[in-house]
Amino acid sequence: MLYDAIIIGAGHNGLVTACYLAKAGLKSVVLERREIVGGGAVTEAFHPGFSCSTLEHAAGPLSPQIISDLNLRQQGLEFITPEVRVLSLGEDGKSLCIYNDTAKTVAEIEKFSSKDAKNYPEFLTSFSRIGSVLAPILSMTPPSIDHPTASDAWQFGKIGLAFRGLGKKDEYRLLRWGPMAVADLVAEWFETELLRATVAARGITGSLAGPWSAGTSLGLLMQAALDSTPIPPALFVKGGMGGLTKALAKAAESLGVEIKTNAEVTHIDNSGHNAKVQLNDKQEFEARAVVSNADPRTTFLKLVDPVDLEPNFLLKMRNYRAKGTVAKINLALDGLPVFAGVEQSKLSGRIQVGPEIDYLERAFDAAKYGEFSREPYLDIAIPTLTDSSLAPAGKHVMSIHCQFAPYKLREGDWQSRGQEFADTVINQLAKFAPGLKDLIVAGQVITPLDLEQTYGLSNGHIHHGEQALDQFFTFRPLIGFAQYRTPLQRLYLCGAGTHPGGGVTGIPGANAAREIIKDLKSRKA
Amino acid sequence: MSNKYDVVVIGGGHNGLVNAAYLARAGKKVLVLERRHVLGGAAVTEEVFKGFKFSVCSYVVSLLRPEIIRELDLPRHGLEILPLDGTFTPMPNDDYLWRLNDHGKTRREIARHSRLDAEAYDEYGKAMIEMAHFVKPIMSMTPPDPTTLSPKGWKNLAFLGRRFQKLPYEDKYNQVQLMTMSAVDFLDQWFETDVLKATMSASGIIGTFLGVRSPGTAYVLLHHYMGEIDGAFRSWGFARGGTGAISNSIADAAREAGVEIRTEAPIEKILLKNGRAYGVVLKNGDEIQADVISSSVDPRLTFSKMIGEEHLPSEFCEDLHRYKYRGSSGKVNLALAGLPNFKAIPGEGAHLRGAISISPGVDYMERAYDDAKYGNFSRRPYMDMVIPSLTDPSVAPPGKHVMSCFVQYAPYKLKEGTWDEKREEFGDTVVDTIAEYAPNIKDLIIDRQVVTPLDLEREFGLSEGNIFQGELSLEQLFFLRPVPGWAQYRTPIKNLYMCGSATHPGGGIMGAPGRNAALEMLKEI
Repeated sequence: MLYDAIIIGAGHNGLVTACYLAKAGLKSVVLERREIVGGGAVTEAFHPGFSCSTLEHAAGPLSPQIISDLNLRQQGLEFITPEVRVLSLGEDGKSLCIYNDTAKTVAEIEKFSSKDAKNYPEFLTSFSRIGSVLAPILSMTPPSIDHPTASDAWQFGKIGLAFRGLGKKDEYRLLRWGPMAVADLVAEWFETELLRATVAARGITGSLAGPWSAGTSLGLLMQAALDSTPIPPALFVKGGMGGLTKALAKAAESLGVEIKTNAEVTHIDNSGHNAKVQLNDKQEFEARAVVSNADPRTTFLKLVDPVDLEPNFLLKMRNYRAKGTVAKINLALDGLPVFAGVEQSKLSGRIQVGPEIDYLERAFDAAKYGEFSREPYLDIAIPTLTDSSLAPAGKHVMSIHCQFAPYKLREGDWQSRGQEFADTVINQLAKFAPGLKDLIVAGQVITPLDLEQTYGLSNGHIHHGEQALDQFFTFRPLIGFAQYRTPLQRLYLCGAGTHPGGGVTGIPGANAAREIIKDLKSRKA
Repeated sequence: MSNKYDVVVIGGGHNGLVNAAYLARAGKKVLVLERRHVLGGAAVTEEVFKGFKFSVCSYVVSLLRPEIIRELDLPRHGLEILPLDGTFTPMPNDDYLWRLNDHGKTRREIARHSRLDAEAYDEYGKAMIEMAHFVKPIMSMTPPDPTTLSPKGWKNLAFLGRRFQKLPYEDKYNQVQLMTMSAVDFLDQWFETDVLKATMSASGIIGTFLGVRSPGTAYVLLHHYMGEIDGAFRSWGFARGGTGAISNSIADAAREAGVEIRTEAPIEKILLKNGRAYGVVLKNGDEIQADVISSSVDPRLTFSKMIGEEHLPSEFCEDLHRYKYRGSSGKVNLALAGLPNFKAIPGEGAHLRGAISISPGVDYMERAYDDAKYGNFSRRPYMDMVIPSLTDPSVAPPGKHVMSCFVQYAPYKLKEGTWDEKREEFGDTVVDTIAEYAPNIKDLIIDRQVVTPLDLEREFGLSEGNIFQGELSLEQLFFLRPVPGWAQYRTPIKNLYMCGSATHPGGGIMGAPGRNAALEMLKEI
């Protein structure tokens, strides 16, 4: 049969796109390579009785607009928001706890520096002011600066006006912070090293960058636009992140979307009147549009026949920066690890190992030379503290996001060095939680190579491509192709490789749907 | 002579002198006050050792604006630029890369390393020249205020927008990348030869506290293609008689236009009467009155030392403190009994007449930066060396030579010890590094002058030893230089202007800040 749209990949963005298309009365089918839906937002059992969010462990957060548009709560989506945002472990056994509640956080910071405690609220408010101006930009289709149309000009105008609304001081802050190294930004606000590092971490998460790299403040601005706070929340989902994508899938199916798993697309054929895709079992699907939730490199360098694309475009795609730096380690634990000098109540949010700016920078240095960090930066969650469904009673799972683990190792390869890396991470973590090793029942190591082979992330990049000044907004993935359309008339992108990029927000998917609906409605069948 | 002037210019550096010359040519009565016994600021020639004349700090001409050379008729005032042909990069394996101004030769030389790169080099050159043409007029324009509400301000912003809009797609793409990427990421897209990328990317880090992999370093690659002598793109040169000869020719032009110049006239304070500057007091107590003061020294000296922050708006002071200097380079000047003998190309030859670059690989450059990030000078630094005495015998005794070595990284703030303690150790590191490529260097050294960042601050009044009067990083460029809202050469103090490298378009022997400032001042006085 002829579908209106075929969606390649049942990641959260693909599912969001499918839902919005269906709401607009367009019939679509979602084709997922793996046996489960969810892409990077999945819950999987990695040891009998133990399961967790195998990749991403916290939501971006998912856009509230999408949650209500798709009634995801009725589909069983349930968020868990511990009052602790992040507990940051210091090397001297001192730790810093950032709560959702500002007053509590200020009291915590007071222990380190009253100057910082005084600055913290203003730091939050100025970011939320700027964030509120950037927020609408996230859900807008980036205007084309290549061939601006009247509506593009109008979009620019809107951005301009919002910018004006900030007032001179914040206008200049925004202009300065955009290209700034996050290490400089936090140094302007705070004197406590641990606090600096805790805030700066967002700027380098998932990137091939250290806190001293220019443009890393962008991450904080993006986070503020999403969440009005530059420090990411510990926003977990009941049943793990898979709970979120399951709810999306249910919503999609209730709207009449077909979802096929174990359906790996191997080729996109754009030659005929309608677009066709072919699966590895030679099965074919035909539709008026093909929407790829896969990353840009996979889409254009693997699925599309090179002869269908201009050499020039292909060259630019090959130069699209996407060098993965993240590995994931999931542990099944016999009991709750004890962190030196930390009461249990503070472990329910994210836990950060990355006590100093220099620590984070050194972790990055290794990646520059194709080595993994000897002392990696870790972002940890123990979801079982707030969600008993993931492990047997009394047992726990620990989900560890590890940086830096460069996709290309200079010596050896990930098949042979995965375990060595895992040991490095666990030894480092054991410095803060001495009893950890004795508690480990089983472990799962997901190297950048696994991210590519199992999860289909080209070069193992969790954000579908570096999120930096040269690859964001109207430059994502490429200047001139930031409007979810591609050089191929019937092919669209809806994944993290498009504005506003990675993180479980669903916004790229929603934005893409808006453009696709425009085109399909205006185009006769 | 009366003690009342139209304008007093603080600092007899090249920008101060250019500024004075333009004001005098417009009929103003101008006095230039220089703290040292010689004119030129960082563009000086000094006979440090008997018979050896060093261009102590800045050592090559490239960006001196052609309009200034023309308008001030500098050749008639003794400016003579001698060509500096090519860049010779020796490698540890005794191979080398030698780029010359002769495109054909360079192409053949690169082909020796990689045929692909040789072909790419043509394309690259063309693209960069297009970019340079785009950027050129921006250097001689007063930065618009992006927060302005005035129609004229809008006009200037629109001018930039339209200019960009008019670019062909490829140029837009390149321009965006140049402004946002790291030099290495940018060059990776064009070339595969490591040493080629390393030696080209070096221009991106000079005078900044950034590495070749830090975003924001790519755009400086343009400067190489903007270097203009007699309007011809991308040629570099020496001034006969050393860099000081440039300052002297400008001073000569200024005097002819009626400018009065005093050396050894250090300034104590800028005189204020209810928020307006009306003159200066010298260290010796002399008071000099003027309608307008124009300061070519950096903001820290101008505002914190000569004005006093108590007289300035607190927000302006906060921004002043945020303005980053953190010098990262030093200089070693050698008096040589003969010529260094490089293992890569033994004997004397044309390769010694150009720039000699110690930048054998991207990792080498990056490791040099890593040392600096953690507060040490590079154990194996990047160096840009020239032997001007080969082209201009007047700077050394017959048969003898001077060798000027620009050295990065030498961070102003050392983790351990002071620069006075480390001076010789630093000098030895530099000589040892050269010796790895030219072993005979140690036997040739008659005398050596080591200029540390601390010396640059004490001797030449460059705060924290930054050769550009403040880092040329993205957040300190154009309308953000030196301080947001004060990028138009004016200051919060009435009748006080800035005309030094701390203003747009920044450092290097360009003279553009001095000229731009003069044109702004003449609108108002």
